[in-house]
Amino acid sequence: MRLHRFTFPAMASTHELVLGAVDESHARRAADAAIADVARIEAKYSRYRDTSIVSAINRAAGGAPVAIDAETAALMRYADACHAASRGRFDITSGVLRRAWDFKRAPPRVPAASEVDALRALIDWASVAWDERTIRLPRAGMEIDLGGIGKEYAADRVATIAIDAGIANGYVNLAGDVRAWGGRPDGAPWRVGIRHPRVDDASIGGVEIADGAVATSGDYERFIVVDGVRYCHILDATTGWPVTHWQSMSVAAPLCVVAGSGATVGMLLGADAPAWLDSQGAEWIGVDAEGNLRGSP
Amino acid sequence: MAAAAALPGVVPHAAAQSIPDEGSFSIRYLDYRDWQPGADRMRVRSPSFFVMKPFGGSWVAEGSLVYDGMSGASPRFYNTLSGSSGEGVKDYRTAGDAKLTRYFDRYAIGVGLAGSTERDYLSKAASLDLRWWTEDRNTTLAFSFAGTSDRINSNNEVAVNEKKHTLDYLFGITQAINANAIVQSNLTYSRGHGYYDDPYKLLDDRPDHRRIVAWLTRWNQAFPAQDAALRVAFRVLHDSFGTTSYMTEAQWVQGLPQGFTVTPGLRYYTQSAADFYKDPPLPNGFVPGEPYATDTRLAAFGAFTPSIRIAKTFADGWSADLRVDFYRQKSEWRLGGDGSPDILPFSARWIQGGVSKSF
Repeated sequence: MRLHRFTFPAMASTHELVLGAVDESHARRAADAAIADVARIEAKYSRYRDTSIVSAINRAAGGAPVAIDAETAALMRYADACHAASRGRFDITSGVLRRAWDFKRAPPRVPAASEVDALRALIDWASVAWDERTIRLPRAGMEIDLGGIGKEYAADRVATIAIDAGIANGYVNLAGDVRAWGGRPDGAPWRVGIRHPRVDDASIGGVEIADGAVATSGDYERFIVVDGVRYCHILDATTGWPVTHWQSMSVAAPLCVVAGSGATVGMLLGADAPAWLDSQGAEWIGVDAEGNLRGSP
Repeated sequence: MAAAAALPGVVPHAAAQSIPDEGSFSIRYLDYRDWQPGADRMRVRSPSFFVMKPFGGSWVAEGSLVYDGMSGASPRFYNTLSGSSGEGVKDYRTAGDAKLTRYFDRYAIGVGLAGSTERDYLSKAASLDLRWWTEDRNTTLAFSFAGTSDRINSNNEVAVNEKKHTLDYLFGITQAINANAIVQSNLTYSRGHGYYDDPYKLLDDRPDHRRIVAWLTRWNQAFPAQDAALRVAFRVLHDSFGTTSYMTEAQWVQGLPQGFTVTPGLRYYTQSAADFYKDPPLPNGFVPGEPYATDTRLAAFGAFTPSIRIAKTFADGWSADLRVDFYRQKSEWRLGGDGSPDILPFSARWIQGGVSKSF
């Protein structure tokens, strides 16, 4: 039994897949199938692809309902649960805020409160009409995106496909969202380090997991600094403004989609995150705005 | 480790009273890795080069260069990283030293410089060493002095431009007992101040100064009839962190036909924990403002290191050797007290080989 490592590009990032297998060809076949599914999920749910179901839903905003399949309905159901858990701060219709918040603009600019407020009228998951077969965004200009869910769901799919292909031990790291299964071939758990929110290649600690996932949400992926103030890309859907309470939040959970949304919701809940995460029974490590480490008991 | 080699007491001075007849160079390669149950930790691959040349009848110049390529080192202790790309990052270290020694009739004076650089650590050292010997050359007294200046800039910005300064002193005596036995005894004292924390460990806060006193004695006994030699060593060390350690080692050098020697060895090491070492889990025992560390290198444990070295000398001044050391550390192997609880056994192995030539 050896560990075989594959790296592959998808979703504008590079990902890592490690599979335990006796022979390379077995690992290769499993990796090909898993990587193909990541590409399938990206094609289906990327808001950057005109042919994706997300683009179709967004184009039809204010118009007719769009038919969705069971997989998409399951993701909507999960997004709905996150919306409720975060008391509306996690909202898959909040992507419209990109029109005000441009984190790539040079020189960086903080939008006027009026610009943000105008967009808030388009953020309203509660008004979206959806069921197991169709979805309809009620107002033109509304849009959804599955940031915080889609990539994490893909990580869980990778694990399922690899396990079905007979790979008993492995992990996948999709741009920092890690799903592991089976532990290491020698019986020890995988060790997943948590990236330091201010230093690229340093870690603040780590967790050991045999079966499960660790995901991290942080203020360091995309941000602008204006007049010494950092504005990160994690925006509170209820205010339209970036969160400031945490530099990063990492959550361990059985599934990556739970860990990923837990980390994002944790960032959004600010000072309320520890109580909420603890009530969910989640294992978590957060770095607060001053750089202090906090964590589950 | 070249910087360390410039420090007093690291390189034995035994039987080095007279100027070497010929120069030599060697090329070596070290492969090191360590692990704990279920986790490969660190790997180092390290080529090195050493040259020594007498010149002008009373001078000896020597120097070395070493390159360490490290992977998986702390803080990259994990299989993968959550939060950004999980690509492993490699680190490296380059070190070199140079030393010039002038030999006189009854004494020698040497000066050395050493430096090493890695991404987060820069070290510079200078040393001076003096040796006197009796006319019959049976007794040598040595005194060395070295100063080291380090600068630490950790990758995680916990340590920014931190400094550490260390002064080391050595007093040693080497005495030939008879034609087949030589004994060496060194007393070393080190005092340093500055940054001693491990910036990659959480809540790691150590004192800003450290004093170390160590006493090392070696005995080399030759057995000409057996074409063999026994080397034994014992060292006791105490430092102001509160650690006391004992090391004892024995090696048997056995000559074999055709220029081979085989040297099996066994070393035992045991230490008490530093005063501020706290048993896991973090943050057990943490009191803000007081020294605190959970670094298991500061814990109480014992360790055995069996080793074997095979060397062969060839006709025209060439020689080659291969050495393997295996280190195994466990809490329960501590002597004279309980080992620290809840620490996984730690293992390491060194494989090193080299060729050298006299010229």
